[in-house]
Amino acid sequence: MIRFEGVSRRYGEQAAVDRVTLEVPRGSICVLLGESGSGKSTLMRMVNRLVEPSAGRVLVDGRDVAGADPEELRRGIGYVIQSVGLFPHWRVADNIATVPRLLGWEPARIAARVETLLELVGLEATLFRDRFPHELSGGQAQRVGLARALAADPPLLLMDEPFSALDPGTRRGLQVALREIHAETGKTILFVTHDVEEALALADRLAVLDQGQLVAQGRPAALLEGAAQGPVRRIFGEESLAFHRLATLPARSLARVGDADGLPMLPADATLKQALMLMLSENSARLALPAEAGFGGGTLHWTDLVTAR
Amino acid sequence: MPSQPAALAARLPLTGTAPPPREAMAVATLSVLAVLAPLVLGVLSLAPNRLLSPRAAAMPQTAGVIICLGLFLGFCLGTALLARRAAWLGWAELAAALALCALLAGIGVAAGEVLRDASPAARATPAAGFWMAMLLLALAAGCCAAGRGGTPRNFMVAVVLGFGLLWAAGLLGNLSVAREASARGAEIRAAAIQHLGLSGSALLLALAVSLPLSLLALRHRKLEAALMGVANGFQVVPSIALFGLLMGPLGALVSWAPGLRDWGVGGIGPAPAVLGIAVYLLLPLCSAFLAGLRVVPPALIDAARGQGLTEAGILRRLRIPLGLGVMLGGLRVAAVQAIGLATLAALIGGGGLGTLVFQGIGQLATDLILLGVLPMVALSLLADGGCAALQAALERGP
Repeated sequence: MIRFEGVSRRYGEQAAVDRVTLEVPRGSICVLLGESGSGKSTLMRMVNRLVEPSAGRVLVDGRDVAGADPEELRRGIGYVIQSVGLFPHWRVADNIATVPRLLGWEPARIAARVETLLELVGLEATLFRDRFPHELSGGQAQRVGLARALAADPPLLLMDEPFSALDPGTRRGLQVALREIHAETGKTILFVTHDVEEALALADRLAVLDQGQLVAQGRPAALLEGAAQGPVRRIFGEESLAFHRLATLPARSLARVGDADGLPMLPADATLKQALMLMLSENSARLALPAEAGFGGGTLHWTDLVTAR
Repeated sequence: MPSQPAALAARLPLTGTAPPPREAMAVATLSVLAVLAPLVLGVLSLAPNRLLSPRAAAMPQTAGVIICLGLFLGFCLGTALLARRAAWLGWAELAAALALCALLAGIGVAAGEVLRDASPAARATPAAGFWMAMLLLALAAGCCAAGRGGTPRNFMVAVVLGFGLLWAAGLLGNLSVAREASARGAEIRAAAIQHLGLSGSALLLALAVSLPLSLLALRHRKLEAALMGVANGFQVVPSIALFGLLMGPLGALVSWAPGLRDWGVGGIGPAPAVLGIAVYLLLPLCSAFLAGLRVVPPALIDAARGQGLTEAGILRRLRIPLGLGVMLGGLRVAAVQAIGLATLAALIGGGGLGTLVFQGIGQLATDLILLGVLPMVALSLLADGGCAALQAALERGP
């Protein structure tokens, strides 16, 4: 869906992005992870031409974005930023309708679309449609921001640290909502964050940037397999590397067949990290896993968890 | 602790015995001084003719005069008493205005009595006591307005309406200013229209220059620095000096292209005046436009751009609607400033109400100065009020 081919962006002598080549497969959530100043936002902003590369090219759907009209290109790509950026003098419905209006949709079609989107992001349409942005909480505002980005049904979403300014509970709620929306709509999402846990909670694909260079990419589990080295080790945090690795593996991968009676129950799609947390909170060295399609259910043992590779 | 709720109740207003607002003492003092000022300084003076200095005259003891002065006393007292309740501060303002009107009416009636036995050339005019009372009552009204957290609008409107009514009722016809005004009615009207023309065209010229330049400066930092430098620089030059400086180049321009003279261009006259005034308006206009265009935070611009709004769309949908209040504030300052500066146009033959003012200064004729100044104050207040109303209407809107 997106291909970065040897793209760089230089500001004077400084390279904000340095020869990055990266492929984002269609329908995936690809997370760009890095510390501040690593060039992750700059890299993302090249996709909708808010930043022009100094070298290399960016392809969306096989077409070089440099050849596209910037405004037209941007109307076809959803864009969500940390500060949300809702227009303060427009009501929620008008904010969501920004791009459809620019594209000249019929008013009736726009109204129906706004309704659908508000429900999709988990906001009651009749309650929120006519509110002004200052009447929303931070989490609600970002849900509206997400709805606005999805308004014209773009195949691609760019999200620049969208949840970083929210409190942890709201942030986790929105991460879950985003995964659900992704499962429902199948959009390709390029997501920028500096938060390791957020990256692992969302990513199908992970790309780690350090000082403008792409230092690692791939599936999260593969990235943290074995002993990660250099910048990856630093960014994930030396002492919590093993813990983060547990977050990349499904709990069922270590399931044993056994008697699960009376044991605390894990959700079917839980990760090993969640399993560990449940063991600690329930003071139980064994957990039950529910049966599901293609999986007969079973138990999870503490000894397997700590020796997992 | 039973004393605590009681102490709390005492601090809360509207619980029976609300304490008087902080301004009550000041308003009372100012009202008492306003009563004393006419007693000490006198309110009416009489001059043998329009050019000789007036002397204090005793107020005649007729029924009309006594009623008016009684009303003045009553309204002054009312101002002081009404100001003791926070909820009544608006009425206190109104009482101050009525006191002023009553005093003026008394002076008008007294002038008629005094002039009946005097020569036709004699002039009656309000004396220092009246002006002092006016200042003190305006201050009292200002205190009341501050207590309400607003502007002394009640006072202003009531004074303007009251003076207008007194004028219309013919009560002021015997005052020197009124006689001078009726003698020079056409001249004043012409001067006022000229004054509006001068300040209006200067404002339009300044707008035509500063709007596009501000839009350009928004994009180009160097142009912004240059623009603000020039606008600031002109502000430092004294206005008369600037009018003088403009004479040279404009005179030269006309001698090079005499056809321009038909358009009113020249070293003296309205053209350099308009140009000079416009130059002073650049600073308030440009700084307000730039500040208004920058009201929108960068992150919002980024969000708009990221959604595919064009630069023109960002200007039309974000920068202008969100910055309009700030920009109108600048326009308000500039409009008032233009009306004030247009006074000086008289010095270089540009006409306007300044002509009356400078003529009055030359002849030491206070009435003539007042005839220039009063319409100017009215024009300023109108311009200011109009812009303020526009601003308020826009802020209430979407």
